[in-house]
Amino acid sequence: MKKRYAIVIAVLLAALTVMPAVAQKQQLTFLFMPGVQDPFYTTMEKGIRAKCKELGINLIVAEYPKAWGPEYQVPILQAAVQRGGFQGLLIAPTSVDALKAPLKAVYDKGIEIITVDTFLGDGDYSKPNTDYNFPLSYIGSDNELGGKQVAEHLAKLVGEKGKVYCQATNPDASSVAARVAGFKKGIAQFPNMKLVGVEWCLDVQQKAQEQTLAALQKDKDIVGIFGVNVFSAQGANQAVVNAGLVGAVKIASWDATVSNIDNLRKGVVDLVLAQKPAEMGSLAVEWMYKYLTQKVQVPKKVIPGFEFFTKDNVNDPAMAQYIYQ
Amino acid sequence: MPSAKKGGLGEEDDLSESKSAVQHGFFETGFGKSIARNWALCFLILMTMVFSLTSRGFFDIVNFQNILHLSTGSFLLAVAETLVVITGGIDLSIGYVYGLASVLGAKVMQVLSVAGLPTVSVVLLGCCAAVVASLLPGFVNGIVITRFKVPSFIATMGMWGICNGVTLFLSDGFMPVMGAPEIINKIGNGFVFYIDPGKSVSFFQKPSYIADTNIRQLIRLFPNSLFLTLVVLLVVSFVMRRTAFGRHTYAIGGSMDAAVRSGINVNRHLVVIYTISSFLAGIAGLFNLFQTGIGNYTPSGANYELMAVAAVVIGGASLTGGKGRILGTAVGVLVLAVLENGLQIMGVSAFYRYIGVGILLVIAVVIDRAFPDLF
Repeated sequence: MKKRYAIVIAVLLAALTVMPAVAQKQQLTFLFMPGVQDPFYTTMEKGIRAKCKELGINLIVAEYPKAWGPEYQVPILQAAVQRGGFQGLLIAPTSVDALKAPLKAVYDKGIEIITVDTFLGDGDYSKPNTDYNFPLSYIGSDNELGGKQVAEHLAKLVGEKGKVYCQATNPDASSVAARVAGFKKGIAQFPNMKLVGVEWCLDVQQKAQEQTLAALQKDKDIVGIFGVNVFSAQGANQAVVNAGLVGAVKIASWDATVSNIDNLRKGVVDLVLAQKPAEMGSLAVEWMYKYLTQKVQVPKKVIPGFEFFTKDNVNDPAMAQYIYQ
Repeated sequence: MPSAKKGGLGEEDDLSESKSAVQHGFFETGFGKSIARNWALCFLILMTMVFSLTSRGFFDIVNFQNILHLSTGSFLLAVAETLVVITGGIDLSIGYVYGLASVLGAKVMQVLSVAGLPTVSVVLLGCCAAVVASLLPGFVNGIVITRFKVPSFIATMGMWGICNGVTLFLSDGFMPVMGAPEIINKIGNGFVFYIDPGKSVSFFQKPSYIADTNIRQLIRLFPNSLFLTLVVLLVVSFVMRRTAFGRHTYAIGGSMDAAVRSGINVNRHLVVIYTISSFLAGIAGLFNLFQTGIGNYTPSGANYELMAVAAVVIGGASLTGGKGRILGTAVGVLVLAVLENGLQIMGVSAFYRYIGVGILLVIAVVIDRAFPDLF
């Protein structure tokens, strides 16, 4: 009997000494590397922070790049990697190609990677024999689906008939091209609607104004415009005001930034698509945690979906969580 | 070489009178010379006629006013670039001074609005800040180019980066700066005359009984922005054609050594030229704030400075200096604007339009190189 007690006590003592070591082993640290200093990524950081706190994970947030592009992001990433001390990297790569090599070097150090919002290559990490299939997952928006849904919501606003126009930004940005492609597909579903033009303002609001005015000059009966970001939507709106078409032309915009939501309240735009950056960040932490602690298989692509703001729900408290703050 | 380079004068009248002995057949006749000298204007007229016949909606006073109104920034930037190009230099920083002035003006207005200052003070102080700040890059450019003998291409490219960095800092990355008083947007996009046919004529603001949604029933004439454009074009053109300052500018571009020997303080003159160039870019950026209502940083794809150079070259200036006309540059701006607008209304895809503008620019340079003495 005494022998049994001795064994139980010995096992308990052994467990007590091993448990803290196990617990210490589970104390994970993640690095968040945003794409650029803007409200979208600060909102994403909030989602990441909340989930890390919930799961007891340490979080390091790298310096926010002041502008978009690998030339700004890669040096910050490399400095953070040099300092080390983290097991998981959550990053929004600013180039589908230029970030492949730097991230592969990070991966080769034994650090797991999830890309958020943007991706490497074509974003399909399940493809074998590619030079970009090493991240665990891509967690972000399906821009094409978003463009299609914008078309559907805009169609409702204009009574599913009439001419629409798309004011895009950069033709060389894959996300923008996908939004435009989705918008085209969405409008094609409505037999009484016609997309009369796609223009590229290169993020120059004045150019967006110029191009929209010319489009309204060509087709005076345009009823809806999709501005794929804040610059194109505001430029389109100024053109609509100048042309005296306020109210007659509905404008849809992408991203629930405070400025876009203000514009919706002021009547500058009529519809705003909100991505879910906080949810993207939260999901990325959760999947990284599950993989590192339980080795669960992570889906190669996770798409959180969208919300739509209109004049009717913009002041709804339940929608406030989707505004990028 | 154009005669201006040898003689150090450079006014277009002098240039046309001192043609070399190069024979160009048709272009030796009076009519031919006139066509060659004003090929961009001829092209502009021809293009306008073609678009009027082929693009529904192009030949419309509303559209022509849109073109002029939306070209305001381009006019100012191109005038700035013309001054520098005539001296034989190039200013690559104007596109980013443009963005800096727009963002700084908006930022100051935003901060002062939040502080609760009266709107007039907010607008005036914002404008002053933008204009004063825009003088500095040009002054520094001039000093670096003249005192340290740094090529203008490099010096202004350095300033390009500095202005870009400061602008990005002010705009927190690449977000537009909002919060300026709404009145600036109304001024920037307003007209001098609002005519309600058979009822009323009002100046600078629409009749109060007309709602924004019914503004189409008004005839709106002469955009406010055209005032700014005309003042800048006429004043700078006068200075370049009729004053010693203008003659010295052509002389420096024609032959730096001759200008020095003739007693022109070349260094001081170049500092003034680069400062004026920067100042005009700042005014253009400030106008951009009035036109869009927000402070816009300069995106790298905007290429404002390169489009300004394109307009200058189409307008007849030579990149080697000593030659160029302000009104020619204005025609160059209009050629690019009408080409863009006309092709878009015609339904030509944006990508083909890029090709069109590129071809036009090459043609301009070929004409400049093939018939230098005809201008």
